[in-house]
Order: sequence, then C-alpha cells, then structure tokens
Amino acid sequence: MKDRDSKIQTIMTGYRRGFLSRREALRALGAVGLAAGAAPLLDFAALADEAGKQAGPGGIPLSRPDKPVTLPLNGDPIKSGLEPEKGPFHIFNYQDYIDQVSVIDTFSKKYGVEVVLTTFDSMDQAITRLASGTVEVDSTNITPDRLAQGVAGKLLQPLNHSYIPNLEKNIFKSLQNPFYDQGSQYSVPYNLYSTGIGWRTDKVKTDIGSLANPWSVFWDESSKEYSGYTGILDDARESLGMAMQYRGLTDMNTEDAAVLDKALADLKATVPISNPKINITEYQTLADGSCWIHQSWSGDMLGAIISYWPEGQDKSILKYWWPGKGKGVTQNDCWALLAKSKKPVLGHLWLNHICDAEVAYNNTTTYTGYQPAQKSFNADELVKAGILPEQLKNIILTEEDVGAGSLQYCALTPKGQGMWQDAYAKFNSGS
Amino acid sequence: MYPKWLWPVFAVPGVVWLILLFLVPFYAVIGVAFGGVDPIFLNAVPNWNPLSWNYDVLLTTLAGFLPGNQYWGIFLRTVVYVALALTGSLLFGYPVAYYISRHARRTKMLLIALIVLPFWVSYMMRMLAWVNLFSPSGFVNKFLLWTNLVQTPPDWLGGNHASVILGLIYGYIPYLILPLLAALDRIDRSVLEAARDLGASPASAFFHVTLPLSKPGILGASVIIALPMFGDYYTPTIVSGSPRTTMIGNQIDIFFHGGPQPSVGASLTMILSAFLAVLMAYYMITIAKAQKEVAG
Repeated sequence: MKDRDSKIQTIMTGYRRGFLSRREALRALGAVGLAAGAAPLLDFAALADEAGKQAGPGGIPLSRPDKPVTLPLNGDPIKSGLEPEKGPFHIFNYQDYIDQVSVIDTFSKKYGVEVVLTTFDSMDQAITRLASGTVEVDSTNITPDRLAQGVAGKLLQPLNHSYIPNLEKNIFKSLQNPFYDQGSQYSVPYNLYSTGIGWRTDKVKTDIGSLANPWSVFWDESSKEYSGYTGILDDARESLGMAMQYRGLTDMNTEDAAVLDKALADLKATVPISNPKINITEYQTLADGSCWIHQSWSGDMLGAIISYWPEGQDKSILKYWWPGKGKGVTQNDCWALLAKSKKPVLGHLWLNHICDAEVAYNNTTTYTGYQPAQKSFNADELVKAGILPEQLKNIILTEEDVGAGSLQYCALTPKGQGMWQDAYAKFNSGS
Repeated sequence: MYPKWLWPVFAVPGVVWLILLFLVPFYAVIGVAFGGVDPIFLNAVPNWNPLSWNYDVLLTTLAGFLPGNQYWGIFLRTVVYVALALTGSLLFGYPVAYYISRHARRTKMLLIALIVLPFWVSYMMRMLAWVNLFSPSGFVNKFLLWTNLVQTPPDWLGGNHASVILGLIYGYIPYLILPLLAALDRIDRSVLEAARDLGASPASAFFHVTLPLSKPGILGASVIIALPMFGDYYTPTIVSGSPRTTMIGNQIDIFFHGGPQPSVGASLTMILSAFLAVLMAYYMITIAKAQKEVAG
C-alpha cells in the first residue's frame, strides 16, 4: 500500500512539474490501479497551472496577497449548537508565545477544562510532529505558508463560524477573508508583525529611520563603528529578503537563481562591514545593550520593553523602523483545529477565545508583545496606558498595512525552498 | 567453574545499547541521506532498502568539500578550531591531571571533585555563563580595563575565533582531564623510580618515561573530546553567532532543522563520520601498537 502511495505521489509530482502530460499521468496512475478516481486528482493539480499559479502541496495553488486561494474542504465542519466536550484540551504553540494567566487560565476557568500546552521550536518541527502523529493535540498555532500543507495532508478540520463570532466582530476585515485561506475555512488570525530595524539611540548616532535607504546601515562603511554590535534574523527568508529589500526588490517569493545569488553576495558583504550576529534574540540583546542595531520583528520591540528592559533604563532609546506597506514585509500567524481532535467544539471555542478583544489585548501587553489582528488594538491607547513608548508607535500595524498589496513571505515550491536554504547555508558558512 | 556463556552475557547490555542507540539511528541517517522527502510535508522519508539508494545527494555534498567549494572553508575552519582547542585542552589539562596524580595527596579527592563539578551544570548553561563573563561590560573586560591592560574593551563575542576556541576548551576540558588522570594513575611508579635510580633528572624522567607511557591516555582523552567538538554547533552559536565562526555542525543543523533537503544534512553527517572514523582508526592502531610493545 505504501509503495502504491509512493508511486502515486511520484506520478503526481511529475505531472505538476510538467514532466508528464495529463494523458501520460492518467495512464501511469492506471498502471498502479488508480485509473477510475484519478481524473479529479489531476484536474485539481491542474487548477494551479490554469490560474497561472504555482502548485503547492497536494496541488493546491501557492497563495499570494494578490492571488488568494480557497483551500479544498476536508469533509464538513461540525454542526452548530453542540455542547463543548470535557477536558483536557491540548494546544500546540511556540515556546513563550502565549500567556498562561490571561489566555490559558481564563479559558480553563470559563469552560471548566484543563488546558495542556505542548511547545515546539519551529514550524518545521511542529508540522513534522503533527504529520508523524508524535504529538496529538486539539488546536495548533500555524503560519499561513503551512496551511496548505495541513489541508493537503488532511491534518486540519474545516471550521464552523457560528462558534467563532469574535472573528467577525473583532478581527481586521482583511484577515477575516485572508488570501491564504479565503473564507477563513481553517484558520483564525493570531498575531501580526512587520520586519524592520530596531536600534538603540544611546549607542547609535545615525538616525537610521531618516536615511534614504535605512537597510544600508548594514552595508555602509561608516557602520564599521557598530561592527560586532549588529544582528540579522536567523531565518533564511528574512535575511535574504532583507538583502533584496536593500536593493529595492519587492518580490519576496522569488525563485529566480540570479536574484538569490545577488542577495547572497550582498548578505555576505555585511560580514566584513557590520559583522552581524545571526540570531532571533533581539528582544533580549537590544534591551541589555549587547546589540545596538538588529533586523527585527516589530513584536519583539514591545516584547523587549515588557519582559527584558532593565529597571531604570530609559525606554525612549529603543527605536524601530520598517519600510511601510508594499515595500516592507508584514506577516501574521494563525490558530487552527486538528482533524483528529476529539474535542472539536471546545476547539472552536478556543479559537473564539483567541479572537476575544480583552484576551488578545492582555496576551500582547503582558506577555508576547506581538499585536493581535484586532480592530480595537490601537497604538495611541497603548501609549496613553504607558505600555508602549511614544517612539515605538510604528510597531503597531493598521488594517491597511496587511492584506492585498502587502509584501509577505509566502509558501514556495520545494525547489524554491531548496534554493533559499542553499543560499542561506552558504551565508551561514561564512566562506 | 562458570558456564561458558556467563561472561559473554555481561556484554549483552552494551551490545543492545550499541544497536539501539548507535547502529539503528546511524542507519536511519543513512536512510535519510539516500532517501527522499514527503511530497506534502517535505519531511524526510528514509529509504531503508540499500538496493534502491540514490547516491546523488551524497556525491554532490562530497564534492562540496573540495577546495574552493561550498563546504571547504567551513570544514577547514572546523578542523583548525578543533586542533587548536585540543592542543589548548592538553596544555591546560595535562599539568592539572599530572599534578593531581603525582603530587596531590590529601587534596586529591577534593581536586577530582572540583573537576567533576562542571558536570553538575549543563553544557548550555556553562556556555551562557561564558557569555556573561566575556560580554562587552562583563567581568573580563572590567578587569582588563581596571588593570589598564587595554584601553578599549575587546569585542570577545563579536565573531572572534579565539572566543570560540576558548569556549570549546572551557566546555570540554573536564572530559579530557579525567581519563588522562586515570591513565597517569595507572603508570607504575617503580618504573619512574628506576629511571631516577639510573640517574635521570626529574625532567628527563618525565619526558622519557611518564610522557611516553601516558601517550595512550593522551590519545584516548583527545578522542573523547575531539569527536563531539567536530559536531559541535552550539558553542559557536552562543559565544559568537557570527558567520565568521560557524562550524560544520551549524551546516548540518540548517539542513536538518527544516526545509526540503534533510538528505543534505544526513550526507554531511555521514561525511563527517567517515572523517572521524579515520581519526578513530589511527587511535585504535596506536593503542594496539602500544599494547603490543607492553606485551613484548
């Protein structure tokens, strides 16, 4: 059986990549005993090509902000009006990315269930563990570029929105119907963020935000005085993407080898000039002063202030810049329910809880620092409440900053992923 | 007196341990190197059947180790780091082991306990302590400035080769001292007394008797620390974080950590293992020769 599945997958891959015609693929599928039901499979895979989109996992088109995708349904959502199941309820999330008190404990108390949190280090690890069944949870945090994998691999279950009124009530309109999951059939948005530069004004005299090209701070010879005190995000997409933005490019999902080669060469050029450290701990290193300039996620700026800022240190010295909509990258992540969950009603209520305005506000302002996709979340009020320093108002994204016309790192073809990974490995090797 | 099967039975736990915790996982790595990826989840799908192994990725990765190619620079850097860290560990560790073995009397157990003490703290925590010591405003820089040895604090953690090498020494030296101490303790003191009786000075006795007799111990201890050093990736990550100072283990981490190319990570692991097997073979041959000499 496994051998047959493997043959089918090989044929489908060949078809999607254009090595086999539809007729050849059907003939090959017939040879492995799948002639009768094969045509819809091929038609589905062909959808991507016909729409001018690249095929992703299971033939589902790769979504882009300007090329939204409706994910195929894995069965029907649960019926409306059902009673929630008993606990324990299992959730799967990044470490230190949800507040125990304001989110988990309030859900426990509201529905009288124990909530068990299992954590993962990376989305790759999460998907591997979910796919292999080594972790069995009811709900998981997931990034939009992985949703198609979850749907194609039948890991996720479709949602019944009657249990999630907070989605429509509280969430940004553009993210109620996001490009990666039209109709929010499988996911609700969690947090969103931009990618820019965080720096300390007590150490860096240059006003980075007012430079003609602020990214140039990593390349400019005058930045040598900050050598060793700079940082770049330890992430293939973000680091190479930064080099592309430095050159004014905006196709953050390119699979063009020449563009990637140029980005790699540019990224390597930062090493003898600004000597960046490669990590994702800017929330800590900018706060403790061991780093002065770091490519940063916007949420980590507030995270630095909330959780890592030394007592008595002036909060106004931390600044952030990002290029703005259409020029800089914005992203969000989501929560979804697992198809195998035996507590789907409780799962829907969990998603509704995540979308609750008060829960989301407390989660951000007391713990994660990452803003929720909530209509009511407002930079001015955060400043007024003394949570957000005035100069960091630009870390808060508005509804206009996300959705159509925004730049996002989206899913790539396996070949494209390999190209980005190879380029990043070469940068990381330092040779 | 005892049944023939009794003594071989003692080896069973070790053999089971070896099979379960080394051979099976290593075969899995080989399976991943010669296998593929799941078309949907892109995670590794090991190929367990040697008859259908695809050697393309391994050969391409191997070609990357040729001078000027992708892995040449980082491999060379790894070899130099390990060689210098090993030399430094021996320079620091041998005198310590020698002192404890030969000259510490009442304090011997206390000193051994002090050497074992770092094992109570995880390697990661010790490296993080290292970061605190050597941070721009850390104790080391404060001391250097206070003593006027430097005018501007050195940037120890900003992609500094010396920091990574010192970090490796700091992290692994206890693992070197203990087997070295055991080897020095095993040297028959009457041989040393004979050398002295025959007119050898203390230095001459050391260089002509103690040092040669401790060679198997030096090699054994070196192997114990060199093997994990070659695969280390967290020491350069924690004490430097710069692409200037990454080691081959960091490349393995990148390819295994995610993405569609786990077979590249597995191939790198196999190539590193093959290289280490050569070093291991040298150690085994040397030990065998030494045993032969003793027996002869």
